[in-house]
Amino acid sequence: MEVLDTGPAAPLLEMRGIGKSYGGVAALDEVDFSAHASSIHAVLGENGAGKSTLIKIISGAIAPDRGTMSFDGRPITVADPQAANAVGIVTVFQELSVIPDLSVADNISITRPPKRLGLIDRRAQRRRAEELLARVGCEDVNPRARVGDLPLSRRQMVEIAKALGRDPKLLILDEATSALTAADVERVYTILHRLRDDGLALLYISHRMHEIEELADTISVFRNGRHISTFAKGTQSDDQIVQMMIGRDVSNVYPPKPVRTEPPPVELEVSRLGWTDRLSDISFTLGKGEIVGLGGLDGQGQREVLLALFGVLRNVSGTVRVFDHKGVPRSPVVATRPDHAMALIPEDRKTEGLMLPMSISDNISLTSLKWLSRGFVIDGTAEKNAVDGMIEKLRIKIGNPDDAVATLSGGNQQKVVIAKWLLTGPRILLLNDPTRGIDVGTKEEIYRLLRELADAGTSIILYSTDYDELIGCCDRVLILYGGRIVQTLEGDAITETNIVASSFNLPVESEAAAEPVRPQ
Amino acid sequence: MPVPKMSNLRNSIDRPLLFAGLFIIAILVVGTVYTLIFEGNAALLSPTYLILQLKVASFLGIVAAGMMIVVLLGHIDLSVPWTMTASAMLAAAVGGPFAIPIGLGVGLAIGLFNGIGVAYLRVPSMIFTLGVNVMLRGFMVMLTGGFSPSSVPTDAMLWLAKGEIIGIPNPVIVWALISLAVAFMLRRMPLGRYIYAIGNREAAVYLSGVNTRLVVVASFALCSTLAAFAGILLAGYSSKAFQAMGDPYLLPSIAAVVIGGTNILGGAGRYAGTVVGTILIVLLQSVLSVMQMPEAGRQIIYGVVIVIMLLAYGRGQRLRV
Repeated sequence: MEVLDTGPAAPLLEMRGIGKSYGGVAALDEVDFSAHASSIHAVLGENGAGKSTLIKIISGAIAPDRGTMSFDGRPITVADPQAANAVGIVTVFQELSVIPDLSVADNISITRPPKRLGLIDRRAQRRRAEELLARVGCEDVNPRARVGDLPLSRRQMVEIAKALGRDPKLLILDEATSALTAADVERVYTILHRLRDDGLALLYISHRMHEIEELADTISVFRNGRHISTFAKGTQSDDQIVQMMIGRDVSNVYPPKPVRTEPPPVELEVSRLGWTDRLSDISFTLGKGEIVGLGGLDGQGQREVLLALFGVLRNVSGTVRVFDHKGVPRSPVVATRPDHAMALIPEDRKTEGLMLPMSISDNISLTSLKWLSRGFVIDGTAEKNAVDGMIEKLRIKIGNPDDAVATLSGGNQQKVVIAKWLLTGPRILLLNDPTRGIDVGTKEEIYRLLRELADAGTSIILYSTDYDELIGCCDRVLILYGGRIVQTLEGDAITETNIVASSFNLPVESEAAAEPVRPQ
Repeated sequence: MPVPKMSNLRNSIDRPLLFAGLFIIAILVVGTVYTLIFEGNAALLSPTYLILQLKVASFLGIVAAGMMIVVLLGHIDLSVPWTMTASAMLAAAVGGPFAIPIGLGVGLAIGLFNGIGVAYLRVPSMIFTLGVNVMLRGFMVMLTGGFSPSSVPTDAMLWLAKGEIIGIPNPVIVWALISLAVAFMLRRMPLGRYIYAIGNREAAVYLSGVNTRLVVVASFALCSTLAAFAGILLAGYSSKAFQAMGDPYLLPSIAAVVIGGTNILGGAGRYAGTVVGTILIVLLQSVLSVMQMPEAGRQIIYGVVIVIMLLAYGRGQRLRV
């Protein structure tokens, strides 16, 4: 690891050997990290690189398993966000923490309102709000306004003003500009530069490369829970930075894709699908044995597409043809009937996929009790054989099929969810981010399994927040933005550059490029 | 029978069974010591007394069997008292050979109504069934004009409640048959599996393509039908169907289910526990009255016992994960 000293002074924040694991998966591994006063420090990395975990540890939201932290030269432990605030660490999270029904002034002073005679001094509170709003260049915001009535970008500024009200020495901004318009972003830059000149240390998390170019003094890159490198702005090219973030040879993790000479028969045809303001004009087809990916930024409607197809959403417009059936399935009951033969691996296995206290066997057979029963009675032998077969096929590591599924690791739990659906023999398999929070080994098994299923004729729609997965697994990738499909990438055009560009609704650089293109 | 699938839950459920069993023995021991000292006999251990207790327990046991199904789902049925009353009164009022089918039909209709309200209208069961209970009371007062009508049970009802076969009272036989059927349904039928699964995580079951609403409706229908059956039996036992006859059964039926180790939030519990819980409650009430404990004291002890039993089970373990 190369560490470039960014200033003569001792670091304000110093972390040594920080480690944090979730169920055997290391989110952070032996991380050393430091941040200096009077500097804007950007932290870069892919989804799951460990940025959020790092921020949460610094801000006291979670406790590290290992390692030490010191702040301002003194060793500290931040047990909770209040303790972090007390030493001068303040975080502005991506999800806004302002309360929409309270006034701007109330929100800014929510933790430590100025008091007189034991009661909140509203006049002093308003003065304080005015001062802080002035510091973030928002003199036009009325402290008495209800926060919910402000536009999103103004709410974000109130959030920053609120953070400044806690007298931070270290201010952490986690994707704090993702909701802002271009003009507001400019304003935030000005403020952040001013705060840096005032002597604050700023930690800045963003997915937007050009923001970092403009803003940061120092850049740290994280990958797979490790701190890869820290360097001063301008010492590394964009190309090198991207390489650091990706860092591994992607190709051998994924099974090879078949070469098609002619398009496969269409099994699922979606036209002009719409749902409230979250989905509009979604049209695509899914061929037999194809793996079609849904990509784009989180929350652009990918989840809703899967739920709509599976019959979970009400009042879906547009038409869907599944095999010979026209019409959107009305419920999961219809979607799972043999004539539709659909399966959905849901987003959150703990709340949507499994009954955690129940046995592995009960969980796997739940979808298939109809055909595992004779009359109204479950055929115990048939059930046992079916369950054992699935456990063997997916190589689920278990003690006993009667153990609670809660006792399994995340990866094995996810295999149970997959097993319960494979037992139904689905012809259309919908997967909602199936590898989230599971270990690399299991991920690879799932990639191989998906390709095997596709080769055997199952048609698959895969939504993933991991670009690599889309690139490695999918025959085609649909990029969603604001509830619409903005780009369809196929074959060699499925590159990280193209996915990222179209995720932000920018034109792709080379739609049919013969080789992967890295950002310039 | 194959190995029961709820083995992972066995540790947390066997404890209630064990506790309740030991408590039943403790009640008998304390009661017998009392009768030996003050009356010079061990009447509580006589077969006559024990069979009588089983007979008394059978009415509560049948109600609790239905209540358990609904509690396993994570719901509750507070309309049980007036479901019993309405079914019994209407059965007695109709009379003749159709009395029992009519009574059961009334229960089934109430159960379907409850189920539809909870599953399709999405009203919390605690509120909906409470409302239905009050509605039923109103209906019965309206029908009878506020008086207890001359509602003599039919011969069949009397025979079911008072007759006996080779020394075993008929209600006990009915309770045993119902218990076997409910236990079989819970353990071996898809409906039973769905009930446990919904109690654990309804969303996961819905997303598995199970018609969860139908399961909820069926469960409420079963619960109310069983309550109606208990009401009909009780009318035969009392030789009369009367207003508010089901009122003393609501809290004991819930208590029996919970003392038997069923998680009040749903998803876990064995049927055997409900049987043991029922016997415990009936014996406790009976022995306290044998010991001439005043009504106030009986209620205090009864409440304390429920709280202590639940504390002893370690309530926190089986909350929804």
